[in-house]
Amino acid sequence: MAGLLALSRIIDRINEFIGKQVSWLVLVAVLISAANATIRKTFDISSNAWLELQWYLYGAVFMLAAAYTLQRNEHVRIDILANRLSKRTRDWIDLICHIVFLLPFVVLMVRLCWPWFWLSYHSGEMSSNAGGLIIWPAKLLVLVGFILLTAQALSEIVKRWGVIRGIIDEPTPQHELPPAAEGALEMEANDRG
Amino acid sequence: MVDFIAHNLAPIMFVCVMAMLLIGYPVAFTLAAGGLIFFVLGVEFSTISDQIRLFWPLLQSHPERVYGIMYNDTLLAIPFFTFMGLILERSRMAEDLLDTIGQLFGPIRGGLAYAAILVGALLAATTGVVAASVIAMGLISLPIMMRYGYDRGLATGTIAASGTLAQIVPPSLVLIVMADQLGRSVGDMYVGALLPALIIVGVYCLYIFAVTLVRPQWAPALPVEARTLGGGVTSLIGILAATALIYFATYHTIFADMRYEVRLVWAATVAVLTAYIFSLANRRFKLGILSRLAEQVVIVLIPPLALIFLVLGTIFLGIATPTEGGAMGATGALILALAKGRLNITVLKQALDSTTKLAAFVMFILIGARVFGLTFYGINGNVWIEELLLALPGGEYGFLVIVTIIIFILGCFLDFFEIAFIAVPLLAPVAEKLGIDLIWFGVILGINLQTSFLTPPFGFSLFYLRSVAPVHEWKDAVSGKVLPGIRTAEIYKGALPFIVIQFLMILLVIAFPGLVTHYKSSNAVTDPGQVEITLPPFGGATNGEGQGGLPDLPGLGLPPLGAPPANGNQGSQQQSPLGLPPLGGLEPPGSPNGQSGQPAAPQTQPPQQPDLSQPPSFN
Repeated sequence: MAGLLALSRIIDRINEFIGKQVSWLVLVAVLISAANATIRKTFDISSNAWLELQWYLYGAVFMLAAAYTLQRNEHVRIDILANRLSKRTRDWIDLICHIVFLLPFVVLMVRLCWPWFWLSYHSGEMSSNAGGLIIWPAKLLVLVGFILLTAQALSEIVKRWGVIRGIIDEPTPQHELPPAAEGALEMEANDRG
Repeated sequence: MVDFIAHNLAPIMFVCVMAMLLIGYPVAFTLAAGGLIFFVLGVEFSTISDQIRLFWPLLQSHPERVYGIMYNDTLLAIPFFTFMGLILERSRMAEDLLDTIGQLFGPIRGGLAYAAILVGALLAATTGVVAASVIAMGLISLPIMMRYGYDRGLATGTIAASGTLAQIVPPSLVLIVMADQLGRSVGDMYVGALLPALIIVGVYCLYIFAVTLVRPQWAPALPVEARTLGGGVTSLIGILAATALIYFATYHTIFADMRYEVRLVWAATVAVLTAYIFSLANRRFKLGILSRLAEQVVIVLIPPLALIFLVLGTIFLGIATPTEGGAMGATGALILALAKGRLNITVLKQALDSTTKLAAFVMFILIGARVFGLTFYGINGNVWIEELLLALPGGEYGFLVIVTIIIFILGCFLDFFEIAFIAVPLLAPVAEKLGIDLIWFGVILGINLQTSFLTPPFGFSLFYLRSVAPVHEWKDAVSGKVLPGIRTAEIYKGALPFIVIQFLMILLVIAFPGLVTHYKSSNAVTDPGQVEITLPPFGGATNGEGQGGLPDLPGLGLPPLGAPPANGNQGSQQQSPLGLPPLGGLEPPGSPNGQSGQPAAPQTQPPQQPDLSQPPSFN
């Protein structure tokens, strides 16, 4: 169990690092998009590569940060009923659902994405838009995203088991508000504090 | 028993997955798991029921479907506007606006409430994030309203409701997601929503006016000693008139030979800049031509107006797509926050981190909904839903009213993203079959989803306000009085009249489609003769079972060619895209193996329509 918990900590650290770093790509996408629109209007030139780069970046953001989002417990839940259950029941629900719902889905996606990515990589598939980008990096993002999610799912299972057995304290943050509101409130608190 | 399940798999799946969602596990993964579990069941039962057209190779389309979600640049607007909202909140623009507009309206009864509504509308027109607006107003307006004796329900209700305006006034995230899910252009959705949104703002103000007549003690005017900016409304009217004059003068003289949109932009820029420079000069050199009030109002109005121009102006003028409008707005907000010295690396990181997590959860709900959709359409779930809804009495209006009620109830418990990604794709084909204009439908749903932010117990706007409103007694620093905290029940009670207003607004939009469908007249009308109708080839045998072949594409119901459009407006053909509804697209399996002898993928192209959401370079 100690070994598994150590592994889980490593996975958490990797995904946290990746999640925090890819968030910068939002800023990059914003700047590219704004610049692209301005340049297109002012100089009447445009390129599909720049347009495509924006959604490449966004794809990288949400695919690669999905595991981090899972770790921070920010994937939205419908908790009307769940809130009335005891903490212990909810822990069991989470553990079982990680194994029965999440794990099969992400493993299947990894399994399906691999040949799909490989085909694109080997054929050197290009975007059908004139001047577009090569496609396999985008497909690679989907594959890597699901691999990271699979790793995070395993880590979550280990941690949840640890919590149920009383080996570790609750490692997962609990939220009452979605990320945008929580972010705004945190920044507000920093300001005043 | 097995027979019964096989023949009723669609309703069983629907009910089971909804029940699974209630367990409280993340929605995205529950939907995906539900889709996969029933996929396996469906394949097993496909020999029993000819309603089921699922086969193993179909699973291979999932990566391509995820990729399709990535490829969609409309949804890029979600992180852009979220990021913009968070940064804008930091720039304290809302604070300046509330202070100044509060002073402007303060001397009249209900003035602070009007100020909250107008600032809510201004913030809504710059960005599309409820959280940022409500938090800003809850922190700034609420204590002031409490200090000067506003009724607590009225104050909290006004703030919560004004915050939700962000979801119906363009550029709202609700409208973007709705346009995406209905397969319509975001630009049309914005034009269609504009008038209803303005009416909502107007009706909110009317409600406050009515309250000040019936219960004047609920919304007193600011006492004289609190009117720090003094009077001077005349000079404000003066400078506004002067600005308008400059606009028209330059529009018809200096810029007369330019293209319409360029002309408009330049004339407006010159007029607004003149007013701004004049106000600054008035302040700097103490000219005394303008009152302090007028000077301050002009100065604080500039940043939001500039942002509204950056975002909405560029979108409506066709300079930028809605996505790019979001990027421009976010850049503008960054510059504004930087100029005010309120941007540092911590703030930036925090805003990016929140945006990233929001983007990931939203996009994964969409991915989960797609996995669910593949199975659900494969077992003819869409046909079941369609039959269910088409059987409703009352035709078009019966459908709209019942859908409104269903969404309203769902809205009490679900997030708008979940409703938009799960329910809307199921409803859209039915609406289209009934000849309902999808933009009109989208706006009705949009107002409904806006309302869902206000409905207890899970209205987010109420949540946000609760999180910033004082729970316990607090000492007001300015008046030195100890004021009571605000109870959650008071927040709920205060929201109630606004929920009623929202409901009436939905009925109004249903009764008068023209409020929305005027968007058509601002577009080139599509020639009915040019609307291409592409029928999907019906698949041959595929997997050796001789069953069905490719599931026929859902949502390909022909638009009511003979019937006049529901609204009668224009008498033009409905611009129905015969394309796939977003959830429904059953792309054929991505990989070639196991698919030999299968007809080519049915490719349906939506007829070209003027589409503001497409970057001009594609044209």
